[in-house]
Amino acid sequence: MIEAVPKDAPPLVAMHDITVTFPGVKALSGVDFRLFPGEVHALMGENGAGKSTLIKALTGVHHLTRGSITLDGKPIQFRSTAEAQAAGIATVYQEVNLCANLSIAENVMLGHEVHRGPFVHWRATQARAAEYLQRLHLAVDPRAQLGSLTIASQQLCAIARALVLDAKVLILDEPTSSLDQQEVAELFDVIREIRDSGVAILFVSHFLNQVYEISDRMTVLRNGQLVGERMTADLPRRELISMMLGRSGEALAAIEGEARTRTEEDRETPLFLSARDVGRRGSVQPFSLDIRRSEVLGLAGLLGSGRTEVARLLCGADRADSGEVDVDGQKVTLADPLTALKHKIVYSTEDRKRDGIVGDLSIRENIALALQARRGVLRPLSRTELDAIVEKFMVALDVHPNNPDMLIRNLSGGNQQKVLLARWLATDPTLLILDEPTRGIDIGTKAEIQRLVTQLADDGRCVVFISSELEEVMRVANRVAVMCDRAKIGELENGPSVGVDAVLEEIGRASEVKTDAA
Amino acid sequence: MSRVDTEPLAASSAARPRRLPRIDRRFLPVLGASVVLVLMLLIGQLRYSTPHRGFISLRLFSNLVADNSYLLVLAVGMTFVILTGGIDLSVGAVVALVGLVIAVLLTAGVPLPVVLLIALLVGAVCGTLIGIMVHYFDVQPFIASLAVMFLARGLCNIISVQSLSITDPGFGRLASWGIKLGTGSDVFRINASLIIAVIVIVAGFLILHYTRVGRTVYALGSGDDGLAAGLMGLPVGFTRVGVYVLSGVCAGIAGIMFALYTKSGFNLTGIGMELDAIAPVAIGGTLLIGGSGFVLGSVVGVFVYGLLQVIIAREGLDSWWTKVLIGVFLLIFVLLQRVVSARRSKG
Amino acid sequence: MPHDAQSQSREVVDRQNILVRATSHHMFWPIVALVVLLVLCQVMSPGFLAVTFTDGHFFGQLVDILRTAATPALLGLGMALVIATGGVDLSVGAVMAISLSLSLTFLRGSSSPDSVGTVAVAVLLGLVVALVIGAFNGFLVVGLKIQPFIATMILMVAGRGIAMLVTKAQITTVTSPPFKWLGSGFVLGIPTPVIIALVVFVALTVLTRWTAFGMLLESVGINAEASRLAGVPSRTLVWSTYIICGLLAGLAGIVYGAPTMAADANNIGLMKEMDAIMCVVLGGTRMSGGKFYLSGTLVGAVILTTIERAVIVFHLPSQTAPLFKAIVVIAVVVAQSSRFRDWAQERRLRRQAGSDSIPAEKVIV
Repeated sequence: MIEAVPKDAPPLVAMHDITVTFPGVKALSGVDFRLFPGEVHALMGENGAGKSTLIKALTGVHHLTRGSITLDGKPIQFRSTAEAQAAGIATVYQEVNLCANLSIAENVMLGHEVHRGPFVHWRATQARAAEYLQRLHLAVDPRAQLGSLTIASQQLCAIARALVLDAKVLILDEPTSSLDQQEVAELFDVIREIRDSGVAILFVSHFLNQVYEISDRMTVLRNGQLVGERMTADLPRRELISMMLGRSGEALAAIEGEARTRTEEDRETPLFLSARDVGRRGSVQPFSLDIRRSEVLGLAGLLGSGRTEVARLLCGADRADSGEVDVDGQKVTLADPLTALKHKIVYSTEDRKRDGIVGDLSIRENIALALQARRGVLRPLSRTELDAIVEKFMVALDVHPNNPDMLIRNLSGGNQQKVLLARWLATDPTLLILDEPTRGIDIGTKAEIQRLVTQLADDGRCVVFISSELEEVMRVANRVAVMCDRAKIGELENGPSVGVDAVLEEIGRASEVKTDAA
Repeated sequence: MSRVDTEPLAASSAARPRRLPRIDRRFLPVLGASVVLVLMLLIGQLRYSTPHRGFISLRLFSNLVADNSYLLVLAVGMTFVILTGGIDLSVGAVVALVGLVIAVLLTAGVPLPVVLLIALLVGAVCGTLIGIMVHYFDVQPFIASLAVMFLARGLCNIISVQSLSITDPGFGRLASWGIKLGTGSDVFRINASLIIAVIVIVAGFLILHYTRVGRTVYALGSGDDGLAAGLMGLPVGFTRVGVYVLSGVCAGIAGIMFALYTKSGFNLTGIGMELDAIAPVAIGGTLLIGGSGFVLGSVVGVFVYGLLQVIIAREGLDSWWTKVLIGVFLLIFVLLQRVVSARRSKG
Repeated sequence: MPHDAQSQSREVVDRQNILVRATSHHMFWPIVALVVLLVLCQVMSPGFLAVTFTDGHFFGQLVDILRTAATPALLGLGMALVIATGGVDLSVGAVMAISLSLSLTFLRGSSSPDSVGTVAVAVLLGLVVALVIGAFNGFLVVGLKIQPFIATMILMVAGRGIAMLVTKAQITTVTSPPFKWLGSGFVLGIPTPVIIALVVFVALTVLTRWTAFGMLLESVGINAEASRLAGVPSRTLVWSTYIICGLLAGLAGIVYGAPTMAADANNIGLMKEMDAIMCVVLGGTRMSGGKFYLSGTLVGAVILTTIERAVIVFHLPSQTAPLFKAIVVIAVVVAQSSRFRDWAQERRLRRQAGSDSIPAEKVIV
């Protein structure tokens, strides 16, 4: 189903009719994919479309149920990432999968060290590492520990490692999630250089602007199937989105344009929480924030800008070094999550797998957790009481499958998120702080959760909504606080004329001020 | 256009600015242990020196090494295992098993070189068993090595519940071989055990710091259960099983050394010896969660351990005080480790 | 598909489901192992499983096994709670020695070692010290955030030294019928240690399953940070598990030493921590923490004791017991390991698969 005009040169990598099946599930079905040398090819699709699976099929992590792959015209079937690497296919992952406790030279060169006899010749190895780092304009001491670098620099080290492998194919999986604009620009310069040297680059990112900036060609997947391959220049954004979302795009479009505006009456809603100069050393600079009932406050900013840190201070997950917090007019010290819980403040974390779900407990137990913790160890919820609560929320949030005894880790990401929301809602909170609640969730559930957020505000509660997708924040928030580099730099009222660009401008202006001052 | 205009070796803006060069922090625990060692020597010198003879003497070091050479070997193997984030509780049992195997085989007339080889093989097999359980069956190292410990002890008990003496003349010659350098308190004895210990330490050092497998050991301990190491194409399976094999072989070597020392094989040997090996490794700066530590640090740890026992003997305290004081030492060192690693994670 | 074939295949799937659920139940393999052991013993020594009631109490091999199993059971019950939090307590053996030594030393030094009152005080003394040690362990782990393995190892090493100092390296002996009764007496015909272990089991079950203690503990063990963010008082919970474990270790020491009325501080409790851990693991609790099984731990204790007894029945030297313990533990642990379960499941699914009747669900990758 390839409609684009093929280049004269044959593809470096040709994947044909790729089908990957897991027990009971078809992750990819009949997908074709091509990579040309000297080109940046973006792989697009929503979460769950099959992008990761396709990459893992290419690099030997997944076994093909059907289909074939050729590299340079020769058929290949890798059985491990090591084999793929040896053949010249290198992958740089979103989480920099290097070893922070090893030195930079080791991370870059391990597997291709310079040897003297049976032993590694460190001086020569470090010198070679420095050469590769230099190509990426990274001037660091190769003997230093990797963990001492910023994430952006660590990512460049990961790319340097790919260069060491003399990769013919470079796969970049969400490389910009942790980078600020300056760092992204520098990374793209490097990518262009590598591309011009003849390497085929596979680029995966959900930042559409970046994809349009850097890629030459795009392939769109949806639900494990190929939708189409186009040259970037020939694909307008609207068409790309509809290819990615299909019919579900309508659901989002319905919420689009519902950008909440505040009328004069809204401004009178009572103040619930007032934070004055609250800060924590090493975490976030002192900030002030007013949170009112019936309001959704969005926290916008790039990854690493301090949004989660603000959230953690507001809910007692971290203790503040400075400042004061008033709740309903009374001064409180949010020393730990339990105190915040007692003040009706709850926090849904950004990484539900790491610190959200308690995997081996059932849905019922996960929902009951916070409520039970607040009641105390010695006052267990009666079974009937608990069942009633669980039933109520599972129905209200439409959790699938409707079996409260099921272990939460067997649910899909979207349903896990709903169970977590149920946990917090069960405590009847006044302030809900939601950190990336729609990350890694299918489009339908995303819309449900966004609708829930606006409904919560309508019920008189307050919501702090954090998301890296600015469109999403602008869709639900009344006001937006903008964060940059661990500091709050401004606040915007949402309205019909205010959009994503306004926020980006604010961030850009703030970082410019920083570089001027530096 | 270079991203950074400063010289490469100085703290670039890519690295967060630090007052001390990065390399220092990793060596802090070992330096700490060394400082303690020196302090203990000084205290001993001040307290126990007589006009004739100082506490610090060549003889002191000679005895320290002679009495703890088997521990040095065990500590090297244990360091490798702990660096990957694992633990090996079977070493004491393996030492006993090897001693008995040696006794039985020599009595049966098997030639000495073959016997020694088999001794090493026994250790290797035990280590392989643990490694396979840990790597292929996802059994936690604690349980896996515990099970093999029981296995080895059981085998010991089956072989003999009584001490078997080793009367093989070749073995006896090996045991009593030695070179004595100097006289009086300036004496330094070199025997087979010392040479073996030195070889093991040097080999361990070279493997850990100058081979790919050695660096993979560190990579496995980086906290992600070997995920990054695997993605980097490093030999994860080989290394993870390999460290247990190495620890087993070291236990085999220690078993040979212990047999040389006691000239017998006994099934109750080595009870608690695994902790005698783990404590020096922890004292020497290796973090028990893995990823950080040095072979030479463990060597310092063994000397601290040995010196502690010497001092306790000199003080005339019950040897039971050793246990209490080792406990206290361990506590102090672990607390220091926490302070160092806490600062590292915050930075 | 024709109706009959459809419902038939559904039946097959249902039956397979029951089988899957049964074999993956945490108690399945341990109970199988225990039954196999008991049957083998009965075959080897007919009358092994016979239990009679003579002299006002139950009598028989099984009764002896249960009496002996009380010690590892008490240790294991406490250890299960600690392991549920993702920790471990290596000092239980040393605590056994310390508690017993203190109790006996107190008794020996008292004027009336036969009186129930003195015995009560002696036992209380031993238990209080055990509790304090447990609290100390908890402090190291929760307060100073030291890894449990190392924190409790410190007391394991030092504790034995302390026990030796208390008894001044002598084997303390004293005569006191009330104390002895704790280890070798009977209540309603059932050996006292068994009653003690059962009482503790019931108390812990009430604590963990009738209050929120158990669920919150499991939550902390599975995901400590998520629990903390949900307001669970993790520190208090974890601390209390070390206190309970220490207390039960002290009780175990007293129960263990009571029959012989001798405290050999060097040897009592040696390797008992390993036995305790084995009981817990055999019962289905994973060392990584999370879900824990008190009943499984009891079964584990009985299995371990039966192995020791079986070795004698099979006319093997008693010192070979560790070998068989090792084999059983390795077998159970491998069978429980996820790799084994995945392999078994994959084989089953591969037999089912190959048909297009499996719906292609969307997978969130």
